[in-house]
Order: sequence, then C-alpha cells, then structure tokens
Amino acid sequence: MIDRSYKKLLKLNRFPHTWCPGCGIGAVLKNVAIGLKELGWNEQNTTVVSGIGCSGRMAGYMNLDAVHTPHGRALTAAEAIKTVRPDLNVIVLSGDGDLGSIGGNHLLHTFRRNPDITVFCNDNEIYGLTGGQAGPTTPEGTKTITSPRGEHHQPLRLNRILTAKSPCFYARTTVYHVNHFKTCIREALLYKGFSFVDIISDCIELNGRRLGFKTAHQMFKWFDERFHIVEGVRDHLENDELGIVKKEAEVEVKAEAKTEVEGKLEVLIEGLKLLTLEELKHFDGTNGKPIYIGYKGNVYDISASPLFQGEKRMRCHIAGKDLTRDIETAPHGEDLVYHFPMVGRLKVKAEAEK
Amino acid sequence: MYMKPRLNVIWNEIYCKRCIICVEVCPVQALAFERDEIVERPGCIRCYQCERYCPDIAIEVMDEEKR
Repeated sequence: MIDRSYKKLLKLNRFPHTWCPGCGIGAVLKNVAIGLKELGWNEQNTTVVSGIGCSGRMAGYMNLDAVHTPHGRALTAAEAIKTVRPDLNVIVLSGDGDLGSIGGNHLLHTFRRNPDITVFCNDNEIYGLTGGQAGPTTPEGTKTITSPRGEHHQPLRLNRILTAKSPCFYARTTVYHVNHFKTCIREALLYKGFSFVDIISDCIELNGRRLGFKTAHQMFKWFDERFHIVEGVRDHLENDELGIVKKEAEVEVKAEAKTEVEGKLEVLIEGLKLLTLEELKHFDGTNGKPIYIGYKGNVYDISASPLFQGEKRMRCHIAGKDLTRDIETAPHGEDLVYHFPMVGRLKVKAEAEK
Repeated sequence: MYMKPRLNVIWNEIYCKRCIICVEVCPVQALAFERDEIVERPGCIRCYQCERYCPDIAIEVMDEEKR
C-alpha cells in the first residue's frame, strides 16, 4: 500500500492542474511532495520559490509558503530567504529555460556562494511555455519551431558546469526512472549546501510531437534508450549518464563526523555474518533452510515472505542470489526488501580471495 | 460522482487528462482507453505502476480493506 499523505502538501482544490496531458511537470510535483512528506517537512519550516515558465506554476500548487519571482530570479530570491531565515528549508522549483538561460548568471554565482538551498530543475530541453523554441539545453540536431533543420549549437552542459567546483551536489534523473528519481530527491533535500537536481522531463505537446512521438510513454522509452543509470556517488557525469555527483569540501569538522559514522557501522557489522556469493547460494529454502537474498551488499532473511514460501523462486527472483539489479526492473520499490531482517553482509569477490 | 471505481483502481474523471500513460505503463494490459474513459479489464496484479506514473494523481489502486 502506498502512503498517500503527500496529498496534504498539494492544493487539491486547484486541481486538475494547468499543464498539458502527459506533461512531466505533474510527476515532478508529485514526487517532490512525496520526498518532502517522507522527511517530515511541512508548511512550518519549508518555503518554495519558483521562476517563470510552465514549471513555475509548481509553487502555486504546493500547500506551502511560495514566492513566484521574475524571470530567472528564483535563485536570488531563494538565497535571500535563506540568508534572512536560516532555519527555513528553501527549495526552488523551476525549469531549464528559467535557470539555464535567462537565470544562467544567477545559477553560476549562487552555485559559487553555495547556500543551503535545493533546486529541482524540470529539464524538458525546450522553451515549453512559449511554443517550443530551441532552448539552452536542446540537444544538437533537434528539430524545434526555431530550428526546423536541426539545432546547430551545442547545448549547455549543466553536468559539467555544476560539478566544476569542490563542494557540489548535482544529480541527473528522469521522470521515467521513478525509484532513481525519488532517491535523488531525498539525497538532494538532505544535502547541506547548494544541491541541484536536473530532472529530464517530457514536453509531449510542443516537443515530442514534432520529434515523432505519439504519447508521453513513447518519450519515456526514448529517455530509457538515451540514458543509463550509474550507481554510487561519482565525481562527474557523462552526457548519457544518470546519477549523483557529490563532492565534499575538505573541512576538519566534516572529517570528524565521518569517523563517528564509520565507528557506528563497525559495531553494526560485528553482529552479522559475512557471506560470499557461493555460500549465499546454499540458502535457497530447500530442506527447511532459510531463504536469504543479497541486496546492495547486505544479506536479508526473507523466509517470512508469503511469495517465496515452499518454492525456490517467485516469478523471476531466485532465492540465494544477489538481487540488487533485479529491483530496477521490478514493479515494486526497494522498500519491500527493507521489511525483512538483515542477517549479514555480502563479501565481494576480491575480498574473498584475500 | 467523478471518482469512478473499477475492479482494482479508482479513476478520477475530472483530474484525468487522458494522457494514457497508465494504459501504456501497465505490464499486463489490464487498463484500456475506451470511449473517453479509462476502463479496467480483469487481470490486475496490483503493481501500482499506474498510480506511480500518473502525473495528475487521477488513478489510485484501492487498498485491500476497501475492496
């Protein structure tokens, strides 16, 4: 069952919202509301700032204090709010045309000053509101209303610009990869400092139809072809990669905090077994043995799951294997795995050889 | 009367903009778009994909106890 309490953060009396059928901004609005609700942020401690454009309407549908700023000035207003009231959580909901082109200068300098604000950029690679002109992030060769023979300028590479300096947080995701999208939102909201989430979104009415897509889902499939997810925290992203870039500044206080966390982890590990992949294979539920699966380096005991009872497998998941990859293609999220007790840690092959 | 219940899902007629993401994202083709309405055929596996992808909060999978 899905937790639907995020609806309290949306002004449902203004629904249905104003965007076109199949527009990705609705998905951005919904998932940001879910992310805020999961962290317990509410109207008491959160402010939304939005710029101009289709995505600028997002602040109006949030049940939070909101500022709708002049074109491109969302980041300056957000930084001012954060400076005057450091206890507030400030989030910016805007688009690539607002942040990248007319607000490009503010983006660079807000990034340089590193205030603790979170930016969600709805990157639909076009100027959607004004009718589908080529924008700063339009890929080279794309047909738009102002470039009927294909855009012949290079796009603005936000993944290169916003990872150039040392303390930085940049995440790129799409509205199609929902689990990854939710992880990025959560990580960005928790990050202390300027965090930027670049959400590749679809504009089906003014961009997708010209490119030959009939429905929004066909554009989603196109995103799936163009991009692939890279795991872990990286120090840069290539142009076809989705992932999280996080660079910490070298400060002594932060180094102390890190050792504390490591100490806690070691205590946790002491009570757990270390299993290699070979040993994990034995725990497949046959002859009354418990059923173990590996997930993200940990081993979970899923014997209590009704779907695995009596059989070796449930549809496509095989017991006694590392199922980290499977969760991306599964219709459910990773929260299903976390219901079950963690009984051990997986030994990586290189460690086992030592 | 705009929250129309189906077998396993509730479809909100007013919020829905007929982008048919839910129909195309359904892994077992249990949803269909007929005569300007989303209809549900038997065979829903309750995977919640339609609800997770709907940008308009127009479709919800019913909770077990309400069925």
